[in-house]
Amino acid sequence: MAGLDLLSDQGYRVDGRRAGELRKIQARMGVFAQADGSAYIEQGNTKALAVVYGPHEIRGSRARALPDRALVNCQYSSATFSTGERKRRPHGDRKSCEMGLQLRQTFEAAILTQLHPRSQIDIYVQVLQADGGTYAACVNAATLAVLDAGIPMRDFVCACSAGFVDGTALADLSHVEEAAGGPQLALALLPASGQIALLEMDARLHEDHLERVLEAAARAARDVHTLLDHVVRQHVCEASLLLGD
Amino acid sequence: MDVTHYVIPDWKVVQDYLEILEFPELKGIIFMQTACQAVQHQRGWRQYNKLRSLLKDARRDCILFANEFQQHCYLLRERGESMEKWQTRSIYNAAVWYYHHCQDRMPIVMVTEDEEAIQQYGSETEGVFVISFKNYLDNFWPDLKAAHELWDSILQSRRERENESQESGGKEYPEHLPLEVLEAGIKSGRYIQGILNVNKHRAQMEAFVRLQGASSKDSDLVSDILIHGMKARNRSIHGDVVVVELLPKDEWKGRTAALCENDNEDKASGESSSEPMPTGRVVGILQKNWRDYVVTFPAKEEVQSQGKNAQKILVTPWDYRIPKIRISTQQAEALQDFRVVVRIDSWESTSVYPNGHFVRVLGRIRDLEGEIATILVENSISVVPFSEAQMCEMPVNTPENPWKVSPEEERERKDLRRTHLVFSIDPKGCEDVDDTLSVRTLNNGNLELGVHIADVTHFVAPNSYIDIEARTRATTYYLADRRYDMLPSILSADLCSLLGGVDRYAVSVMWELDKITYEIKKVWYGRTIIRSAYQLFYEAAQELLDGNVSIIEDIPEFKDLDEKSRQAKLEELVWAIGKLTDIARHIRAKRDRCGALELEGVEIHVQLDEKKNIHDLISKQPLEVHEMVAECMILANHWVAKKIWESFPHQALLRQHPPPHQEFFLELRECAKAKGFSIDTRSNKTLADSLGNAHDPSDPVVNRLLRSMATQAMSNALYVSTGSGAEAEFYHYGLALDKYTHFTSPIRRYSDIVVHRLLMAAISKDKKMEIEENLFSNKDLEELCRHINNRNRAAQHSQKQSTELFQCMYFKDRDPETEERCISDGVIYSIRTNGVLVFIPRFGIKGAAYLKNKDGLVLSCGPDSRSEWKPGSLQRFQNKITSATTGGDSLTFHLFDHVTVRISVQTSRCHSDTIRLEIISNKPYMIPNTELSHQSPLLLKSELVKEVTKSVEEAQLAQDVKVNTIQEEYQEYCQTKGRSLYMLLEEIRDLALLDVSNDHGT
Repeated sequence: MAGLDLLSDQGYRVDGRRAGELRKIQARMGVFAQADGSAYIEQGNTKALAVVYGPHEIRGSRARALPDRALVNCQYSSATFSTGERKRRPHGDRKSCEMGLQLRQTFEAAILTQLHPRSQIDIYVQVLQADGGTYAACVNAATLAVLDAGIPMRDFVCACSAGFVDGTALADLSHVEEAAGGPQLALALLPASGQIALLEMDARLHEDHLERVLEAAARAARDVHTLLDHVVRQHVCEASLLLGD
Repeated sequence: MDVTHYVIPDWKVVQDYLEILEFPELKGIIFMQTACQAVQHQRGWRQYNKLRSLLKDARRDCILFANEFQQHCYLLRERGESMEKWQTRSIYNAAVWYYHHCQDRMPIVMVTEDEEAIQQYGSETEGVFVISFKNYLDNFWPDLKAAHELWDSILQSRRERENESQESGGKEYPEHLPLEVLEAGIKSGRYIQGILNVNKHRAQMEAFVRLQGASSKDSDLVSDILIHGMKARNRSIHGDVVVVELLPKDEWKGRTAALCENDNEDKASGESSSEPMPTGRVVGILQKNWRDYVVTFPAKEEVQSQGKNAQKILVTPWDYRIPKIRISTQQAEALQDFRVVVRIDSWESTSVYPNGHFVRVLGRIRDLEGEIATILVENSISVVPFSEAQMCEMPVNTPENPWKVSPEEERERKDLRRTHLVFSIDPKGCEDVDDTLSVRTLNNGNLELGVHIADVTHFVAPNSYIDIEARTRATTYYLADRRYDMLPSILSADLCSLLGGVDRYAVSVMWELDKITYEIKKVWYGRTIIRSAYQLFYEAAQELLDGNVSIIEDIPEFKDLDEKSRQAKLEELVWAIGKLTDIARHIRAKRDRCGALELEGVEIHVQLDEKKNIHDLISKQPLEVHEMVAECMILANHWVAKKIWESFPHQALLRQHPPPHQEFFLELRECAKAKGFSIDTRSNKTLADSLGNAHDPSDPVVNRLLRSMATQAMSNALYVSTGSGAEAEFYHYGLALDKYTHFTSPIRRYSDIVVHRLLMAAISKDKKMEIEENLFSNKDLEELCRHINNRNRAAQHSQKQSTELFQCMYFKDRDPETEERCISDGVIYSIRTNGVLVFIPRFGIKGAAYLKNKDGLVLSCGPDSRSEWKPGSLQRFQNKITSATTGGDSLTFHLFDHVTVRISVQTSRCHSDTIRLEIISNKPYMIPNTELSHQSPLLLKSELVKEVTKSVEEAQLAQDVKVNTIQEEYQEYCQTKGRSLYMLLEEIRDLALLDVSNDHGT
């Protein structure tokens, strides 16, 4: 059997997308009544749920309180059934700690934390199904949840991954493409200003190619922004209808 | 697209009959993604890549439709539906969609092997026809006989394979080891990897494995590994990359030194082996290098003797090194007299011979066209005419619409039309003029030397259709009687050819030289516009150089001038030629002083791509203008090599000539010693010096032979990418230059086109301009170099084989007993245990002559020096061989002895004919007709070709005449228009025979 090529001669990827094309994105805000804010997102087969509490008083040790801004606390977890192989992931393992830290960095850059000194904002994200691009899905879900909670932000945070195959940059990698082992880059962008909230890549990639991969990821993140913006507007419309304005 | 319908093959058809779909006649094929994936998943890389290259080939109008990615074409696989059914259903559904997508205008034919599908879908949608592949070929391509035959043969071989897999007979060969075991074995050093090389002369018994890659570095083996017998070869075929296990030392064997003929399988002749060498057996094949093989079906009598299984026929490949192939076909009788192309399908361990299938017919055995086609296929050369799409990219130049220099180019380029006297020197009648020269005095008194090369890259854009085609061909192929151009004739013979008196684009290298020392002060590279003033030929240029002005009658440019301006122009030209010669001499002398010495005769050989072919060495002392032009070209190549290497140290294309291994010179040294010369092979300088000294005043052939031996001992020059080696490796041994490349013949060589693009990029890099993104990366360039080297080798082989073909045809019709020409003088140049190798200077033929015949009789010569066969024995020494008869006579042959040989042709049905030599006297042959012996043999060769071509054409004409007698008579009476025999023959003479030796310089 001849192996799989990630990018066919005609320029199609394994799942039929073009190089710069996103997977189908569906999202909903306000899925839980109890939490201050919540959102659910599907990016292709990757599904993630995000819940936000706060801002509220610091729980636990008061010493953690920051005098000039709010503390952002992020927790990431992944369901045992989220991957092809059922695997128990204990709370606080290395991967979810790292992911939590990355989310925290991302949102500290976006949320106007100085408006709520000595308080705390909790963001909980759970991945229900992982099919590549979990970080991006988590960020996008969390953005919606934070918006739902009404916490002031500089801008949306939109994230997308990108890879590099046969001299072409691919946007929004699926699990198959990630597993092939090429370089992979995750980017969180503040689309209005074009500022980068987080950029992460842990593979070798020639400097000459970086520009192109980054460009592909940024364009995809802007596309994500358009979609999320639409979701938010729709949600606001529905809410205002219910309120009878 | 000019097709009447679109064809959509079902997945099974693509899997099994891809070869038929590859026929260029079949156009407008839509491959569904489903079908392609079926090939990708269920067949190997080889077939999938074939499919991909078919899709990429723009000439073929084939496309891939990604039906599974199309919303309306995708079908979900139903519960319980088999994969095969689903694939067929998807393809049909997509075909229907596609039909509607084209607004029902274009009928669509889906071809499938699935009977049920034909039943089910056959009449479901109007305009979408579902028929079987056989049916399709019958209805749409009734005249495409080759496709029908191929269909039959594929079907048959598939059935055979199915049958065979059911019956499990006894194993003929051990199984190959799995890939993991092989790879581990190679790493641990237990096995050795290499390329299998079958000995042409004992194909049944001997093959050698040339070490390759990593395994050659760490093992202490220096020589090749012998694979003795078919069993040990274990189903590998010449050219395969194999993995070998060494046998224990006590089982090692030696290679055979005796001469032998291939057709008699002499298993008993193990009498005279040299000392044992590493011997091994093949345990696995890493890469099969199967290609198309030309074969011959056995004659009728033999077929019957093959017994009950008349369906399966053993055919004999043209190439001795390939084993017989088993073909199942019913057309065996019809194909008896033809050369046929087959492909190998498989070689099971249970079968003595590989299985194959018949592909197409080439031509009749011994028919000139058929044999030429055979040579082309055997060298994997494909020379289809240029397609319409390719020709569309070409500029036009017709009388109504003449090609002109465009104003933009005029601005960009340096205009040399008025300032420089540019002229070309080429062989007489040359059409493709690549190179022109110029020289002039600058205002400051210094000289300016210019080499102007046709600017092919201006017309051939990177990755255009024509570029891709040229890249595939890589070179112009010169056969003995014809040539196959790399570029269409509009370029090669017109717009890129630097003809006299017309404006042409060129790429120039110009040096400023000191007026006295000729030291190079400055060099300039760039694009120019030139108008060549004179298109000279070598002889005329030489005459002018020698001061013989009468030759101007032969130069057309001088015809229409009045006496005065003619005189002035002539003086100008003679000055230029004289100056150029002077400069060339100086450059040469300077190189000599630096210790770099050219292996003159030898180098011409290697560079001519015609090595081992003595024809060229024989040519008399070359004219000085030859050397002058060559020297200028070498200079240009060298400077361009320097330039591109400096600009692109990791991706420049250079030509490298590695220094030879000393052990290969052993034979040369031995031979020279026999004549009392000593050859010093330590460096290229000493070698050239000692070769120059090894001159026997009484026999000029000795020096030629020694030189050709030296050439053979050297490795060939190769193209390399500079990213793949250290700087020191790019040394050119033959020319003694640190860097060298090919720049001066872009019309005939693709490497030069690449170098031109590199040079252009280097120039724009210097100007800080943006470099267009069309340069090859190191990896791609390495791949390309390998391809070009490969094609060059094929070009050499095909040229050599076609020359041999013509030699055989020449001698075939002559009776060796009576005809005077068949007896000639020969020189012994190598001694074997049962015979000698003889070189015939007059015809440039090398061959073996036996001293012991099949009945065990040896050759002896009586007092009248006539030879006869007598019982006796042979004894071989270092540089002589003695035959002693039982009668007590003895006869000794030394190296370089002159003998008289009779040339005859040994005809062979399945292979190429071979020249056979027989020693008829041990005295040199006195040529009665002295005039003949003074003729240049080069001339003889082309005459030989001419004569053969003519006789072939005449035979054909004779046939035509019979058919058209009446018409012929009409013409005789009218005698005006129409083709007379004379005209035809004249035409043939014009067409034929391009002189290959015109490759100066390079």
